[in-house]
Amino acid sequence: MKYIKKFSTIATATGLGALLATGMTGCGDNNQPQQEQAQAKGATVIIEETEPGKYKILDESPADETTIVLKKLDGTKQILTKSEMDALVKEEAAKVDNGTSELTKANPAASGGMGLGGTIMASMAGAMLGSYIGNKLFGNQNYQNNRKASYKSPSTYSKSKKSFSQPRKSTSSKRSGFFGGNKKSSSSRSSGRSSYGG
Amino acid sequence: MLTLQKTTALDTDYLESLGFVWHTDSDETSYISDELVVISETEAEAYYEATNELYDMYVEAAEHVIENNLFHEIGIPFNLVDVIKESWESDVHWHLYGRFDLAGGIDNKPIKLLEFNADTPTALFETAIIQWAMLKQNDLEEESQFNSLYEALIDNFKRLVTLQEDVSNFEEVYDGWSFLFTSVKGNAEEENTVKLLQHIATEAGYNTEFAYIDDIEFSSEDGIFYNEQNYELWFKLIPWEDIALEESDLAMLLTNIIKSQKAIIFNPAYTLLFQSKGLLKILWDLYPNHPLLLETSFEVLEGQKQVKKPIFGREGENISILDENANSIEKTEGDYDSHKMVYQAYTELATDSKGLSYQAGIFYAYEACGLGFRKGGKILDNMSKFVGHIVK
Repeated sequence: MKYIKKFSTIATATGLGALLATGMTGCGDNNQPQQEQAQAKGATVIIEETEPGKYKILDESPADETTIVLKKLDGTKQILTKSEMDALVKEEAAKVDNGTSELTKANPAASGGMGLGGTIMASMAGAMLGSYIGNKLFGNQNYQNNRKASYKSPSTYSKSKKSFSQPRKSTSSKRSGFFGGNKKSSSSRSSGRSSYGG
Repeated sequence: MLTLQKTTALDTDYLESLGFVWHTDSDETSYISDELVVISETEAEAYYEATNELYDMYVEAAEHVIENNLFHEIGIPFNLVDVIKESWESDVHWHLYGRFDLAGGIDNKPIKLLEFNADTPTALFETAIIQWAMLKQNDLEEESQFNSLYEALIDNFKRLVTLQEDVSNFEEVYDGWSFLFTSVKGNAEEENTVKLLQHIATEAGYNTEFAYIDDIEFSSEDGIFYNEQNYELWFKLIPWEDIALEESDLAMLLTNIIKSQKAIIFNPAYTLLFQSKGLLKILWDLYPNHPLLLETSFEVLEGQKQVKKPIFGREGENISILDENANSIEKTEGDYDSHKMVYQAYTELATDSKGLSYQAGIFYAYEACGLGFRKGGKILDNMSKFVGHIVK
């Protein structure tokens, strides 16, 4: 069988020892100055109240921070605070868990839109805010359908989707510093051996 | 009882000269056993056949997951679904290498799949180099090993551009693309494993460079950069699920980079499907009662001894052995407690006279190409020892 071989040739021929010796490292300290963490990616979302208690996404675009602007039926505008957003997302997450969220229903009763929590979750921003429940939602076909339905017009949905999958022109500079000093590595392990592949 | 052959251990200065600096465990015992597992040519052949068959089954199972949108079911982070699909669609996202962990295969025990480390496999150095050096040092060079891992990787590196079994036209089709190799800072084992791969790629004919992950620049529009130079090919010994969960911006950037075809990343994102132990359940659904498989479920198995393990656990953490009534007999602690779990039917590992358990690790790079063993307690963790082998 060709896979069982005598190995008298390999390592001697490759100069492996020399290369690896020059590349050798100790279990080094890792106190590199931490690079500045990049801003979290977010979105600006404009949500419109279409009838009392029902909402649709009017527009959405990528931004460094998440801002949700609510246009109410009476014409007033309100910007949701971070804690308001978190509370709504959390509430909706609980509904997803117990199966009462409109997001995961086959045919949400309301044609005029979903409740505010559901609408936010249907937006790209919601998917980011609530990433801990994102998995549940993204595997759910009803959610995908309802997401589309939550946008005021189909073009808003495809535009939003597109702008998020496109590279962001506004920040075309390169990003670096990932896992800078934060990566769980074997320095926390007893053996100093790799944390992978085992 | 399996057969072992005693050898003279490699001395640590020699190991260090090779770059193999992780030779001693924290309890001051050697990580490399001075014994070799003795196997027959028939047993080696059986490992080879089983591994190739399992890989084909994994490909079928992954296709099933993608077609039926079962990403969530097997625990794939949603922000990797796009890049997984994208990588699955095109041959340029070639799987460089992985390692199957198998029970049995020696001591008259049947071969059973335990799991597939498809994304970031280690034990490469031990398998490819160290166990070979043990033969040589002990004047056993007339003997053989199931170990063409080094050469198989040279060929498979070439296939990243030839995209076919035959690699003879590599020089013709390779257009000088630069290949960057990456690990995190501060882990000598990971760094030198990556440097070994870089060395093999260089020998295959690539222009290569090494950089730590936090020194690399990523741009959706322009690709991957280190020291102002662009790299079209990138190998990272960093699990995809860590990128998804700890650096979600990086996951997004890499998705964009792959979509805009600015770089190709190894191992490809779809290897996370193979890596998920949720796929063991999908395999059992598709190939029920297959002789190489152990029954696996997302729920406790009725009336049989079983092993409960986290979908993305590593190093034997958070693993429990449960008896027929699902009571825990033995378990390990760890960081993966909150992960989704699978329940896999228990199988006996081969044991030696001291009662230590042996598990086979078989590397796959286009085909099965190298065997090594690990020994330890019933649950093999990061204190387990590497054991080389010899074919007689």
